[in-house]
Amino acid sequence: MSVGLPSDEVAEDYKNSLEDLTINSRYEISNLTVIAKENTEHAMAISRVLENHIKSTPPDRKLPALYVLDSVVKNVGTPYTLFLGRNLYTIFMNAYSLVNNQVRRKLDEMLKTWKEPVPGSLDPRPVFPAETIRPIENALIKARTAAVQAQQQQQSRAQQEMINRGRPMATPNPQWRSTPTPPQARGPYYPPPQQTYGLQNVPNGNYQARPQYPQTTNYPPPQPTPTNHQQPFSQPQAYPPYQQPPNHSDPIHQDVEKLINAARAEFSSNVNDDSLRIRLQALLALQGALKSQTLTPQEFQAARNEVARLFAEVYGASGPAASAPPRTLVPSPYVPPPQIPPQQRPAQIPTPQKPDIQSLLSSRNLADIIAKAQQAPATPPISQATYPPAQPASQNSTTSSLSANLGDMLASLKAKGILSGASTTPLNGSHGYSPPPSTTKTPPIMSGGFPRPALINDIEVTSISLKRPRIHLVSNLYEARPNQCSTCGRRFLATAEGKEKKARHLDWHFRTNQRLADSAKRGQNRSWYVDELEWIQSRDNPEDAPLADASSDAARAALAASLAAADPKKKHIPVPSDPVLANQPCPICQEKFDMVWNDEVQDFVWMDAMKIGSRVYHASCHSEVKKEGGTTPLRMSTPDSVLGKRKAVGDYNAGNAKAIKA
Amino acid sequence: MQKSFDLKVLVKRVKDLRLASPQAQAPETSEKNRAAKTVKVTLPGHADTSKMSLPGLDLSAPVETVVSPTVYELKEQTEWRFEVTFGNTVEVRLLSGTAELFGTELPIQQTYTFTGTKAAIYTWHGCRIEVVGDCQVDYIAEETPMMIYANLHFALENLRDTAYSEGRDGPRVLIVGPENAGKTTLVKIITAYATKVGRQPVVVNLDTKEGLLSIPGTLSATTFTSVMDVEKGWGSSPTNGPSQVPVKLPLVYYMGLSNPEEKALIYKPVVTRLALSVMNRLQDDGEAKETGVIIDTPGIISQGKGGYEMIQHIVSEFSVSAVVVLGSERLYSDMLRRFNGQTTGAGEIIAVVKVDKSGGCVDRDEAYLQQFRQSQIREYFFGDANTTLSPHTQQIDFNQLTIYKLAEPIDDLLKSLMPGDVTEESTSAIFDKVRPSAQMQNVILTIVNAHPEDTQENIRDASVMGFIYIADVDEKKNKLKVLAPVGGRLPNKAIIWGSWPEGISDLM
Repeated sequence: MSVGLPSDEVAEDYKNSLEDLTINSRYEISNLTVIAKENTEHAMAISRVLENHIKSTPPDRKLPALYVLDSVVKNVGTPYTLFLGRNLYTIFMNAYSLVNNQVRRKLDEMLKTWKEPVPGSLDPRPVFPAETIRPIENALIKARTAAVQAQQQQQSRAQQEMINRGRPMATPNPQWRSTPTPPQARGPYYPPPQQTYGLQNVPNGNYQARPQYPQTTNYPPPQPTPTNHQQPFSQPQAYPPYQQPPNHSDPIHQDVEKLINAARAEFSSNVNDDSLRIRLQALLALQGALKSQTLTPQEFQAARNEVARLFAEVYGASGPAASAPPRTLVPSPYVPPPQIPPQQRPAQIPTPQKPDIQSLLSSRNLADIIAKAQQAPATPPISQATYPPAQPASQNSTTSSLSANLGDMLASLKAKGILSGASTTPLNGSHGYSPPPSTTKTPPIMSGGFPRPALINDIEVTSISLKRPRIHLVSNLYEARPNQCSTCGRRFLATAEGKEKKARHLDWHFRTNQRLADSAKRGQNRSWYVDELEWIQSRDNPEDAPLADASSDAARAALAASLAAADPKKKHIPVPSDPVLANQPCPICQEKFDMVWNDEVQDFVWMDAMKIGSRVYHASCHSEVKKEGGTTPLRMSTPDSVLGKRKAVGDYNAGNAKAIKA
Repeated sequence: MQKSFDLKVLVKRVKDLRLASPQAQAPETSEKNRAAKTVKVTLPGHADTSKMSLPGLDLSAPVETVVSPTVYELKEQTEWRFEVTFGNTVEVRLLSGTAELFGTELPIQQTYTFTGTKAAIYTWHGCRIEVVGDCQVDYIAEETPMMIYANLHFALENLRDTAYSEGRDGPRVLIVGPENAGKTTLVKIITAYATKVGRQPVVVNLDTKEGLLSIPGTLSATTFTSVMDVEKGWGSSPTNGPSQVPVKLPLVYYMGLSNPEEKALIYKPVVTRLALSVMNRLQDDGEAKETGVIIDTPGIISQGKGGYEMIQHIVSEFSVSAVVVLGSERLYSDMLRRFNGQTTGAGEIIAVVKVDKSGGCVDRDEAYLQQFRQSQIREYFFGDANTTLSPHTQQIDFNQLTIYKLAEPIDDLLKSLMPGDVTEESTSAIFDKVRPSAQMQNVILTIVNAHPEDTQENIRDASVMGFIYIADVDEKKNKLKVLAPVGGRLPNKAIIWGSWPEGISDLM
């Protein structure tokens, strides 16, 4: 967000920008939307400015201003919908009363889209809630009725009007029908809606009196929004010419090449996606390693399998996916090559990287890489272009591309006493400062994590004892835990256990980042607090929990299935990705499913749901219908079962409360 | 005009790019270079407006902008204290060395953004930090009580080890001290240190002036296993989506008053109830049992007779084994007199210790505190700059809500008119059941885990489910417009209307 800008200043700037908006300019509207999006913390100020601007601007500029509003509420959503929704009636009616008929038609169309969900969004809620829109519609209908009546009295051509009614009027700009806002230069694109506007919201009586607004037309499907993803800033071109034909005959090279091209294509259309970037980086690193021919046959085989699996994933081949080796999430124990004393080997650096190649594409190492990448949040992959990956002799290239792994390797070498403490590579934490001489000159602290006898903690809980400085103890907080996460600063022991914990921790960061990218699309909200029993029984270890391999979808599904089998109340399925299915209620009780985040399977799920055939049912509804002897779950059950379900939930809570009181 | 705004966006983007440049990674880069560096950027619209471009990504025609962050060099065991007003932001980044904000370590090269904050970044080993933005106040302090605070942590570690070997509960630590003495800060520091060495403390907040993972007016308990949020102080309670910093799960109770002494009738039983839950958790959760409890208190109860009774109550309910007095000699001697030599229920001797107040403690004026409270409420519904939450508005009928208003304390005049033997407890009900009215506009209501028709005591002692905001009251149509954190129907539970935190007029 813009640094040091208080709300007032942002608002003032926004106001000035709005005043420059005199024509219906796609570019400016999208720019204003982007600014609004980047300044959501000043949403209230911006909304106020926008509102005032719409009110005060001359009639011929009202339409562009309203388009800004429309674009902001659709592309940014909350909190703008809340702030702007408050006075929407006044804003809209004020503008409507001052503009000419042509503009009014456009406003009508815009109003209609506000009653629908944002097209292409996962959120099924309308842009503005019905209670915000309804008063406006009612007022418009009233006004039209009055206008038409006046017309009929004054004009003798009433008959003519009656004939014309119902015939579609030519509109100047049909492709804007359902997307009043001009297409955006960026941001979430909502594909133009395909719906036809029906009459359901217009009372019949009033409709009769609306000759000017033919509602029966089936609007032609709007043309696809001209998107413009192709930024002048195109990432892949920045790479050195990788595409030189691979000099090995093994198909793996071609496969990797193809994968890289596919990843690049995907990446260039979605520059902001971190996971794509990391995948691309990993692939490039793998390619470098393959070309440098530093792999042992086993590693080569492992890499080949991994590539085959990925290839199948990307190109949709069905066979190899099943036969591909399972991803290794447990860090493969690294045995340092004993045959060569490392101190005598200048070329030691590339060696430690080798065992990790086989799992280079697995999520654990991706997590390592992402952790590294996060130190440079906005670095585009171009930064890699500075080293030629095809040269096996170039130590720098391998070091930097795999330095996250390397750091781990060095740490483990150190722990095993193979490398002397005077390593050239700075380790996490010991970076850039020399630790106080009293405690840290001695390597044993690094290696063991056990405090030496000199570090005995003799502090008692007395005021005098607390006053005596014991700076050496502070190393318990820092040097004793040299293994630091570069994202959040959390420290881990240098032991094998500490390493494993860190790996899981980085995994957690990785998953979280993935989910953060996903979650931008769905609305997030605060959950209710837990009750006493739930809190007492809760254990919070979201990162260290050995989620064996929650990253693979198959394992996740299996986990979900096993959980579901345990307790029908806890039956849940991942939220269907098919939007049609996602919007369908339970066929038995006709209620929608509640989407909740499930920590165990690390995904959004529908609780109390099960999928049978192509439809999703509430598990409790389904089991009840079955119990009642109905063989087919499609049979509508009596409302009793619905009440029964609610009651069960209530009882459960009441039970909790009692348990705690007892 | 358009340009001037774009320029700011650009400056930000350019800064991002710059921060990410390879040079910025190398700590060796000299400050002079850094500060004097000019960056060439383009204004969109300068060249060709019809070309679709993101501001800042089109780097062709040059315009010069100077970006000058400040770099501070901190010697070992010093701290950089800073204040940022609401509405301003300051970005801080650790370039080298180690640094921690109230015990939580900052990793190298991560940028943290602060707003409405009064805090300090301390270094044990010396460090260099880079600051972008305007601080209201900022200076480097060489004298800090951090050594004592760290010693307190190590002393507690000793107690934890001993308790573990003897199979007892870990220490229950009560922090008391006057207002603005840094109690919450000390709680943060020792919590962060305990978390850092792999412990899992239960942190209890009994101060209704500010919320812990909740809004003001609440009492709460939370276990901490993961790092705290450097920017937000504690972190965030769960949402239905992911969070950069692991969410913490609080158990929340509602008080509805700023001063607990005003209504001991409510405060005491709620404290008792909270203590019961915490003790249950300790028995259930091995790691929490080992680590023990850290309790934060309101400053007001450290100021005299009535307050001491509250402290006594807390000590006995939580079976406190160590009382830490922060920055007041008189309070220390009073606490010594009261607790020295006493034993807890389990036979441990209660330790009373005194630690120094930090010179960095600043008096927070009422205006700041009010903004702080409002920001906590806003954050509850709308999230923060990193996570935008979408609360839901809905219209509901008056009769869909069962609202209990906290009964007004009986004032002295009224009391003098009553017969002598009537005490507060025998006369006043806890709540009055009320119908929604125009007075309810803009207030925060609390939904508790109790049936609408439950007894008043049960409603008082019930834990909190969440909060709703009354955006509008339509007395003609008997309708309320309600902002709730979660969509769907409001749960059919009792709802409490307290006088604290005060209403907030511009929430939406």
